[in-house]
Amino acid sequence: MTAVSAPLLQVRSVAKAFGGNRVLEDVSFQVEPGEIVGLLGPNGSGKSTLLNLVTGFERIDQGEVRFEDRRIDRLPAHRIVDRALGRTFQLPSMPTKMSVIEVAMAAATAHHGFLDTLLGTRGARDAEVRARVEADALLKEFLLTPVRDLPSSALSGGQKKLLGIVCALMGKPRLLMLDEPTAGVHPNLRNDIVQALKRLNAQGMTIVIVEHDMHFIREVCSRCIVLDRGHIVASCRPDELSSNERVLQAYLGGGRAAAESEKVPA
Amino acid sequence: MSDFLISSFTIAGIYALMALGLNLQAGWSGLLNFGHIAFAGLGAYATGIVIQAGGSGWTGALVGVGLAMALGWAVARLGRQLGSDYWGIATLAIAEILRTVATNEGWLTGGAQGISAIPSLFDGLPRPWNAVAFLALVLAVVAVAALALRRVANGRFGRALRLMREEPQLAACMGYDLKSLKTRAIMAGAAVTALAGSLYAHYMSFAGPDYMVASETFLIWTMVMIGGLGNTAGVLVGVLLVQAAYSAVPFAKDFFGFGSDLAGALRLGLIGLILLACLLWRSEGLIPEKLRKIPA
Amino acid sequence: MLQFLVDTALRASDLALIALGLSMVYGLVKFPNIAHVQYAMLGAYLTFFLRAAGVPLVGAILLSCAVTGLFTLAMHLLVFRRLLRSGPAIAMIGSLAVAMLIVAALQGVAGSFPRMFDLPLSAPHEFADARITTTQLLTVGTTGLLLVGFSLLLFFTRAGRAMRALASNRALADASGLNAERITRVVNFGSGAVAGLGGSMLALSTGAHLNLGHDLLLPVFAAAILGGLGNPLGAVAGGLLIALTETVVTNLNFGFLFGKPVAFLPVAYIGAASFLILLLALLFKPYGLFDRQVRRV
Repeated sequence: MTAVSAPLLQVRSVAKAFGGNRVLEDVSFQVEPGEIVGLLGPNGSGKSTLLNLVTGFERIDQGEVRFEDRRIDRLPAHRIVDRALGRTFQLPSMPTKMSVIEVAMAAATAHHGFLDTLLGTRGARDAEVRARVEADALLKEFLLTPVRDLPSSALSGGQKKLLGIVCALMGKPRLLMLDEPTAGVHPNLRNDIVQALKRLNAQGMTIVIVEHDMHFIREVCSRCIVLDRGHIVASCRPDELSSNERVLQAYLGGGRAAAESEKVPA
Repeated sequence: MSDFLISSFTIAGIYALMALGLNLQAGWSGLLNFGHIAFAGLGAYATGIVIQAGGSGWTGALVGVGLAMALGWAVARLGRQLGSDYWGIATLAIAEILRTVATNEGWLTGGAQGISAIPSLFDGLPRPWNAVAFLALVLAVVAVAALALRRVANGRFGRALRLMREEPQLAACMGYDLKSLKTRAIMAGAAVTALAGSLYAHYMSFAGPDYMVASETFLIWTMVMIGGLGNTAGVLVGVLLVQAAYSAVPFAKDFFGFGSDLAGALRLGLIGLILLACLLWRSEGLIPEKLRKIPA
Repeated sequence: MLQFLVDTALRASDLALIALGLSMVYGLVKFPNIAHVQYAMLGAYLTFFLRAAGVPLVGAILLSCAVTGLFTLAMHLLVFRRLLRSGPAIAMIGSLAVAMLIVAALQGVAGSFPRMFDLPLSAPHEFADARITTTQLLTVGTTGLLLVGFSLLLFFTRAGRAMRALASNRALADASGLNAERITRVVNFGSGAVAGLGGSMLALSTGAHLNLGHDLLLPVFAAAILGGLGNPLGAVAGGLLIALTETVVTNLNFGFLFGKPVAFLPVAYIGAASFLILLLALLFKPYGLFDRQVRRV
């Protein structure tokens, strides 16, 4: 994989504090186009905050974030998505009064104006059809077609995560950032997600995954960045993780023994 | 009797427009606008002032819509920082301020006396055809508005609103500018409501500050909540029901022979009771918002 | 100058108790109760009727407070507790319905004519250039006493601490064993009683009339929001600010602005003044003047 082109995402010396609590300190890393990068760390290491900062749901205190070599850290979340950066949420909450297909269609990028809708012009109707077709196709790819017409809040946790991915993909992102896509997901579904991500990556999508599950990381990621208490402690290949001193320390040493879901491979 | 029916339905139609305007904000966007009647007031006064100054009814209506949309924009900007219930109180305050201004600035609005002698649009026709024509106009406007709004609700804009209402974060990560959505929703609701205000001014041949009392907003809220928040048909049903209850009281008054204080109390009490019952046992309204069907 | 202070104090005491009650309950239920000002009106009418039935004034007021408190509690138990399960927005609309019902009931029973209290006429007392009637003195005095008592309760008793704990962090308070529901009930009763008292004392000067509640709505909310909803003493401070502004605005001769010797703001705009303050408060300090935390709204 050539790294001649500029990195897709650059995070430089980002810091964030909530009240007096320094959640992230001097965090810097890059993501090259075409990579699948895993962002790991025990609970409280700041992974989700980092994701929120990059995608504009929180403001950074210091540093900068660049996407396709343009600064995005000052932009509001909806403008960042416009730049072809998509994300999902760890605990996806879905509306009760909208069906799955409607939610997916809402994520379509085909813009047609208010006036067009009002007058029912050809342009508006075509855009609606395109949105529906795209949404249906993605729903099918993520096996959500059986629940297409149900209220989106009625989905299981795993299905909601998939719907979240569908919505992010509808935006045709060049960088996809997933927040714990397999937590709480049925093992069968989990495999489908793995396959889907690999497919997307093969088609050229760059992916950053915040995850706990080491097995998932090993199956999917080409590189891992490990956070511990707000600092990056390692950036290496997944198979190098178990031999990395600082990684082991992060997961096993000092205060929180992350015994529940972190399985450090033998 | 037919006079009474025509009159009742005309008023119901005008309220229906206002209720549709509120539904766009409260129903589809989840915005608690408690100053909604100000939009209608602006429409009514704009019509009155423009006509007094020699302009036409059309100009008046247009000016009213423009002013209401401007107010809507301002009110939406206010909402950027505020939680929904605080914003509701702020809108209430704004409507009251406008009413106070209308009551006091006699040079512009005629003060407490308001603006009279607004032409009734179909004065050329003999009775009862002038009233019938007006009713037809109102119903036509309501029909167009209802259809247009429903089309908007089912389209991309409406979907974005309805998503934003429940899951603003999800909407944001789909690229929707939430502030812009809210602003547009309020402005659109304002425009429709201002039109209703203009029609009302023509109907009553009068525009006065009492059009903007807070209880009017509460009445429209009741109509929307009882009928079905977020459902166009529901809103129309709510309007008819409340209007029916409102109109039934004078009959009961004549029949049972009680005083006008009691009649007023009964009207208000009936509405309040229905609203409360609705909230306690069927908070979605009589015709709740349904999941939209999108055939494959 | 002294009259100015007297006017401010009078207006502030009109608002203080009712705003305090509103703020107090908001801290626990977390929704703005539009019916709260109507509880004040209810108290006013009850006092009137009790007195008309022969109960001496003080007794009538006390009894009316108790009944208003009970009514408030009943509303909490029967209506608002249920509505809150559907969220604060529904509860707020529900409070709208309750407000309508109270006004309707009073209109039906008492009619739309204001009911004046026939109090013994006496010449107002004069201090320097200020005049204040006995009634007004007693009103301000009672309010002041109650506020002092309330502050003592809030800061020096266990009950007060419990209330403050519950208002600031419900989950934690619950976990630490405080009986949230019982405290909420007591506070509801208290806020209703205090609103009834405020309304009754207000009605001593203005009479019990159907707009009493509605006229209080925005000034009381303005006071409570200025002080920070959930901060009852802040609401009193907010009330003071509102009263001050209203008095200033009434007494200020704006002639200099217009090149005229005399130009006063029309009386009706005084109400608008408090609404304007409310708007400004919401714009710049939605959590109140005394808020130091930065919170996401």
